[in-house]
Amino acid sequence: MSVWNSENVIDVAESIGITQLNRDAVDHLARDVEFRISQVLEEALKFMRHGKRTTLTTQDVSQALRLLEVEPLYGYESTRPLRFGEASIGPGQPLFYVEDEEMDFEKLINAPLPKVPREMSFTAHWLAVEGVQPSIPQNPTQADQRNQELAAKGPGANPHLAAVSGNDNVSVKPLVKHVLSKELQLYFERICGAILDETNDEYRSAAFASLKTDPGLHQLVPYFIQFVADKVTHSLKNMFVLTQSMLVIAALLENASLYLAPYVPSIIPSVLTCLVGKHLGSASQDGPTTHFALRDYAASLLSSITRKYGPSSSTLKPRIARSCLKSFLDSHKPFGTHYGSILALTMIAGPEGVRSLIVPNLLPYDAHLQRGLKDDGKREQAEYVVNAIMRALETVEKDAAETGALQQNGYPEGEVLKERLETMLGEVIGTKVYEIGRQSLTKALLETAADI
Amino acid sequence: MAQPPPPQRTGSVGPASAGGMGAPQSANTPGGQGQGGQQNLNQIVLEYLSKKGYSRTEAMLRRESAHTDANGQPILTRFDDIGGRKYTKAFTLVQNWIDNILDIYKPELRRVLWPIFVHFFLGLIADFFPRDAEDFFQTFKGPFENEHEDDLRALAPLNLPEHVQQSEIGKLYRDNRYRITLSSMAYMTLMQFLESHDREGGSLITTTLNTHFDLRSVDRANAGGARGLAKLLADRNGDADEPAEDEGIPGHNAGSANLDRNAPTVLSKLSLGPMPMESDLMEDVKAELQDLDASNPPKAGQNSLMDEFEERIKREPMDDVPSRDTLPFPPSTARDVAMEVQKVKENRDRFRIEGRDGRSGGIGPGVSVTMFTFHNTFDTVNCIEFSGDNSLVAIGTAESYIRVWSLDNQPLVTASDPAGTPPPASRRLIGHSGAVYAISFSPSIAIPTNDHADSPTSPDSRPRYLVSGSADKSIRLWSLDTWTNLVVYNGHQSPVWDVRFCPHGHYFASASADRTAMLWSTPHIAPLRIFAGHDSDAEALAWHPNGAYVFTASGGGDKTVRMWEIVRGSAVRLFTGHTGNVTALACSPSGHFLASADDRGEIILWNLPTGRLQKRMRGHGRGGIWSLDWCVESTLLVSGGADGTVRVWDVQSNKETQGKAISEGGAGGAAKMDGASGGGASSGVAKSKAKKDVVVSPDQISAFPTKKSPVYKVRFTQMNLVVAGGAYLP
Repeated sequence: MSVWNSENVIDVAESIGITQLNRDAVDHLARDVEFRISQVLEEALKFMRHGKRTTLTTQDVSQALRLLEVEPLYGYESTRPLRFGEASIGPGQPLFYVEDEEMDFEKLINAPLPKVPREMSFTAHWLAVEGVQPSIPQNPTQADQRNQELAAKGPGANPHLAAVSGNDNVSVKPLVKHVLSKELQLYFERICGAILDETNDEYRSAAFASLKTDPGLHQLVPYFIQFVADKVTHSLKNMFVLTQSMLVIAALLENASLYLAPYVPSIIPSVLTCLVGKHLGSASQDGPTTHFALRDYAASLLSSITRKYGPSSSTLKPRIARSCLKSFLDSHKPFGTHYGSILALTMIAGPEGVRSLIVPNLLPYDAHLQRGLKDDGKREQAEYVVNAIMRALETVEKDAAETGALQQNGYPEGEVLKERLETMLGEVIGTKVYEIGRQSLTKALLETAADI
Repeated sequence: MAQPPPPQRTGSVGPASAGGMGAPQSANTPGGQGQGGQQNLNQIVLEYLSKKGYSRTEAMLRRESAHTDANGQPILTRFDDIGGRKYTKAFTLVQNWIDNILDIYKPELRRVLWPIFVHFFLGLIADFFPRDAEDFFQTFKGPFENEHEDDLRALAPLNLPEHVQQSEIGKLYRDNRYRITLSSMAYMTLMQFLESHDREGGSLITTTLNTHFDLRSVDRANAGGARGLAKLLADRNGDADEPAEDEGIPGHNAGSANLDRNAPTVLSKLSLGPMPMESDLMEDVKAELQDLDASNPPKAGQNSLMDEFEERIKREPMDDVPSRDTLPFPPSTARDVAMEVQKVKENRDRFRIEGRDGRSGGIGPGVSVTMFTFHNTFDTVNCIEFSGDNSLVAIGTAESYIRVWSLDNQPLVTASDPAGTPPPASRRLIGHSGAVYAISFSPSIAIPTNDHADSPTSPDSRPRYLVSGSADKSIRLWSLDTWTNLVVYNGHQSPVWDVRFCPHGHYFASASADRTAMLWSTPHIAPLRIFAGHDSDAEALAWHPNGAYVFTASGGGDKTVRMWEIVRGSAVRLFTGHTGNVTALACSPSGHFLASADDRGEIILWNLPTGRLQKRMRGHGRGGIWSLDWCVESTLLVSGGADGTVRVWDVQSNKETQGKAISEGGAGGAAKMDGASGGGASSGVAKSKAKKDVVVSPDQISAFPTKKSPVYKVRFTQMNLVVAGGAYLP
């Protein structure tokens, strides 16, 4: 049973004038045709392989024909894949044909010239830096590669890789013990124990000192980061644990012999949680305002991270700024979150950021602020936010003073000034600025308003 | 050629009822008087013999007369006469037998089935049983689909006797003997079985074995290693079914290229050391280094360049270096001196990738990869090549031209540029009349200009030439100073698949679809050497770092890697073991290992001095590994392929594996690991999953996926940075 239809052979024979063809001959010829076609395809596959492609093209077939010293078939060269149409010549007898458009010469000649294809060009990017793939737009995201088997599995595989790439499942974790040396495991356990030991200050500070200075911790970095992430997600109510986690990150950042750039994306979420988290610590135990200290610390940590690694990752700052702005603009979030995001925005984006991100949003925010100040339960928190905003505005003042961009006069005074400030900054902040009554500050702010 | 008439089974078969004794004579009468007479005659003679007491003669006559039917025609009871079905019967027989045999023989004997399958199929075709052939093929191809996919695809369309000789694979199997080595016990068992089942098909198999096989028997205890009992036990659970190293069509004494059946077991000696430096050049380099040391004294803890150089010379073994006299090179120039000096400098300053012992437990060294992605290619790019000084990148296209860009955005100038127009950022080299499949830059080394400012006569170290091979069967040499074609080398009869410049320049080698590789030198238009021996296209090519050897690899039915000595033009090593078409080759800078990769996603490491397989590594998806390269210390291998990943491999053999003395090869890493851990129910699940997915062997250190960009080229720079090139194909 040959794939090639023997009736085809009869058709061809009739077309060149041979009407009588022996059945055996037809059969033989059909079989031969099939074999020849496969021979051509085998050769064509070779051309495909050397073209480093995985799809066969008509060009490959004509190259193969040329190699086999057969006259190539012309007219089938196309860079687009051939589209096959299907027609039925009877029940269950589909006929496939190449769809060939009819072209009107008139139209073809008068048609505008097709677009010139774009010029071939190349771009360069880092596919890997010191064995870790940076998460930049040019590289696939982890979701893209989920269906690919990338890391070796099973015993004998290197679990360190899995830990780095974030595929670290619970089931894989015990394998860690096989990779890290006994000493390092012990060290890791001891450090983690010491850090969370509330009773022994000396022990704890020794642990941090070790993290800050020890040059041989590189292998443990992913585990410490994992540790921090775990603690932060699971102990949001525990102010002590959160603070210690931030201190661990600070210590790691301070360690000069560690190269943390590849891990920055995994550090940021933990820090952001401590910065803009809805409820940090429990008010009953720690008092209603202790969490502001943690937020202060997280903000300074974040700003030091962006200062250090911002230059090597162009999207780092904008990404953080965007998420902070989002939580600032969400009025359903508690004041603590707003406090944290204002703080972070001030530190990361600088005076320029305050001008373009915070100042324009103060007016709509005013209503929320006023409500907070009137509510006894929330007043204290709201005041923190007011202070944070004031501090942000002061950076604008300082910046303006440094650049000397202030015009010397031409601004109203007294009640007019107060009104101007209130329409611009909202009632609470406007009044506050007016009460301070520092010329440089008001001027800088009015300048900003003029720009907007 | 007509099908023989069906066997006539009218007569009785077994001797017991034969002899015509019980057969009523009357039944035979229609046959005619003559036949009846003969029957009577037999009767009479038998009676006579029994009366005389010649009992043995009588028995003989009875037996012999049993094979004739009533008409005196011989009855076709012999196995050979039942037509095409005899092959099916015989194959079923031996397959069932092997399936039920003791486990210790099974892995070895299973290897015999594939060549028997091929020869039976070819036999059916040649004897003109197309229908039986197809049935046979469909019935029995199952077990081979995994390993011999390509071969099965090539075999399937065969259906006429003349095809057997015309198809590549048919010719290959028919004209050569397939070599298989069995341990002596397995061999004996097989032979005994075939003899005892002579009539049910054993004879057919014996004949096939005699005519088309080169069966060897070795003593299991003596052979050790790959044939040892330990290896066998390790393989039993995993279905690691891989060809032995010496199995296959150009069967050989593992490693050796001597195909003679009685070839001596000693391997020809190789000179794998680096090429010694010319004495004049050495003096110049030393002088230059001394100058540099004087002007830039080494920093604390750093060797002086001179020490570094001396150390390198000292480390070189003196006994296995190729002789400079036998491989002539043009006299060295100032450019060579500058390049050598830079090599010494880089050797001192580079980021080292040390061996496992130097690493901190288990973590691979951090490799940095720069990826160059080509856009708007419309899949016309056939190859990408980076120059040795990392200043240029060239692509060869299906549209017959070569295009060269500068990697650092420098304009590509020539002296003949018309004044006033800015020099273009890229150059097209037009001249070929067929798709360009390979390009290679002449050797070059980047010399940073800032620390060379003190030496006023800094020679140009840019690559000066480019060779390209194309489907138009020609090789062209291009000048990168004038951006024009200098020489056309004609000599190949078929498309040129690969060209590579010698690591020292001046020579280059090419591999072609005409099954040969050739050695050329740039000033001669005729090839200096022709390396013939592959049974299929020579598809990939690599140089040994000392320039005295060339490696070629082949696909199709051959699938071998061969090592050729340049001076004598003869093959010195032959490596078999690939099951797919070999797509890339790379020799380690240390000169002792060769890595080869195929389009089934497997990388094999070969040990050159012993000619043996070192290990197999899997991980790439299907579709071809297009490029391989070694780091300068020969401790890491990097690969890039059609699955759009760059992967980094540990080339050292697994210590655990060695400790268990399973085999030097550590073959089939992941599969075996499955087996070792097996026993629980989980291993069954893992195994069935592994069949679908690509198994990643534990030798892989890391894998970096790209965004829909197959990787065409990977290269370690002298400073151990990986440069990768690919085309974005959305």
